[in-house]
Amino acid sequence: MPLSTQSQTDADQYILIASLDNARNLSNILKAISFKDHAIFNATQNGLKVTVEDSKCLQANAFIQAEIFQEYTIKEDTVGFQVNLTVLLDCLTIFGGSTVPGVCTALRMCYNGYGYPLTLFLEEGGVVTVCKINTQEPEDPIDFDFCSTNVINKVILQSESLKEAFSELDMTSEVLQITMSPSHPFFRLSTFGNSGNAHYDYPKDSDMMELFQCTKIQTNRYKMSLLKPSTKALALSCKVSVRTDSRGFLSLQYLVRNDDGQICFVEYYCCPDEEVEED
Amino acid sequence: MKCVIEGNGIKVFGKAILALSRIGDEIWLDPLEVGLAIRTVNSYQSAYACFSFSPLFFWKYVRGLETQNNSQAVKCKLNLKCVLPMFRAVLCRERSVDRCEITIKSSDNRVIFHFRCRHGITKTYNLRYQESEALQAVFPSHLCPNMLMARSKLLGGIVVHFPVSQEEVTLSISALKVTMRTFYEEESDCFKGMNTAMTLHPDEFDVFQIGEDSSVTFCLKELRGLLSFAESYALPVSCQFGGAGQPVSFTVKDMTLEAHVVLSTLTEPDQENSSRPPPGEDCPAEIPKTTASATPQEPMSISDGDCVASSQNSEVFNPSSLMRKMVQLQASPEILPNPRFPPQSALTTPVTPATFKIRSLLFGAVRNGGDGQIAELPSLVCASDTEDDVGTQETLR
Repeated sequence: MPLSTQSQTDADQYILIASLDNARNLSNILKAISFKDHAIFNATQNGLKVTVEDSKCLQANAFIQAEIFQEYTIKEDTVGFQVNLTVLLDCLTIFGGSTVPGVCTALRMCYNGYGYPLTLFLEEGGVVTVCKINTQEPEDPIDFDFCSTNVINKVILQSESLKEAFSELDMTSEVLQITMSPSHPFFRLSTFGNSGNAHYDYPKDSDMMELFQCTKIQTNRYKMSLLKPSTKALALSCKVSVRTDSRGFLSLQYLVRNDDGQICFVEYYCCPDEEVEED
Repeated sequence: MKCVIEGNGIKVFGKAILALSRIGDEIWLDPLEVGLAIRTVNSYQSAYACFSFSPLFFWKYVRGLETQNNSQAVKCKLNLKCVLPMFRAVLCRERSVDRCEITIKSSDNRVIFHFRCRHGITKTYNLRYQESEALQAVFPSHLCPNMLMARSKLLGGIVVHFPVSQEEVTLSISALKVTMRTFYEEESDCFKGMNTAMTLHPDEFDVFQIGEDSSVTFCLKELRGLLSFAESYALPVSCQFGGAGQPVSFTVKDMTLEAHVVLSTLTEPDQENSSRPPPGEDCPAEIPKTTASATPQEPMSISDGDCVASSQNSEVFNPSSLMRKMVQLQASPEILPNPRFPPQSALTTPVTPATFKIRSLLFGAVRNGGDGQIAELPSLVCASDTEDDVGTQETLR
């Protein structure tokens, strides 16, 4: 493979090397969280975590485990940096979106450490491109303090049904209201738009409902503008878990299968818009 | 009003809404004894469409106690931008919706659409509606001298040859042939872009009835919705028309529903059998926006309360007064319907100043009289905004 013809000395300098035979396995999942320009990368022995945040109310994380990569070498416990995600995606797709089966872009992503750019070696059909993207000091991602022990309500749905709902959501509504309850309406998405309101109800015995664990009725509203980017992750996913905790914070976890059938996760955390009394 | 549609009917209903959306931005839901009528009119008020669903179309149709009296009949106006997306799932995905319930709650001014979808998912939409005067075109199509009926596939096959951007076409009929061709305003325009003309032999039509040779020019774009609908269900389309300037009506019928599209046509001084000045001079498009120079072909005034027969199956009927009325009327200078069509061919009454009563050629908002004048039939003209106008009773065939 052309990318492996780099000199050994170069390889020694890098504190992080991650290679993929198919760059789409990274670019597709990053597109699912690319609603802002900047992303915080955090690499550990377990793999890569990429975080994007918006106005301190929304956070999206993409997890690509080490096993997904054909080569994954990390020389420190954690390696962190911040890059322009839009630029990174442009580089990862620099050969265009080839849909010819069997033809894909190979990627070798290398990082020397603090102060060095992120270096990408991309190859397709014998052509090699080298991209160096400036990195910044990584900010600390917000800790939403969302822990499983505080989770009041949880459902796992097959994404197909939610995809339909999200594609039909009334965008003139400023908020998306999520009601979760052990009794009717079980799981309800509501919008309040210009013409009136709309409710999508998923009964607990629906065959789209894989798991239903609701202990107490909760109704929370979230800004539609914050949740809209999550539809990209929804589109890629096959299953989604929706959890709310005692504060009304929302956690959406998407199970994404990449081109090779391997599993990655994307999660979104969102603050509630306001306290809503159940009606 | 409450109605329930099941199974395939939901898709039919959705396609009807889609066809209506090709004409206007709003729909009027009109629950009647004979079924549910959904109507629309375009912003220029030169095109009107109505889909009427008989009670047989529904799994359940209840007009509602409060609507027994026509005078209290609820007329809801809904924005199509809100209604059409609801049916998107039905139109795009097969068997995705099992049941659709539509309820009009006049106490709240709400229409509730409730869909029961696959996987047990339910969707409920509560839309606020605007109370509005009824919208209805009364078009005596049986008086039209010319009628054609053809399979929708034939008409679809004709229309497909005209570019989507082509607005107006001219339909001409003579004893020997039927022609549909691109309409161009000025002689010079015929050299711009592509012109299409298709000629058909009368035998190609299932019904070919010619009373007088004529050519009518109308907006094709507004017909496409109905044609798509007819093609989806392989329903024949009938077309009734008279001379230039008189509206042309297209009808699609089935056992449980009926759809009408009525389009105004250009007044075309250039008749086939008369030598006329070249289109440039008398061309309707050249009529200035103020109607100071436009004169009606037959000036007339219509007094309040004139009765004119409604469309088919009505008992009171006065053919001569009808024909007299189906002529151009002088429009108010403030009224500016579609600038491409002369003011005289407007089908409905635009908003009028309170002091000025305008009678349109075809129809307008019909306000129900509260005094149960059942014998009085709607006039071809519209009500004005003045309160002392005689209320007219609506009738649907």
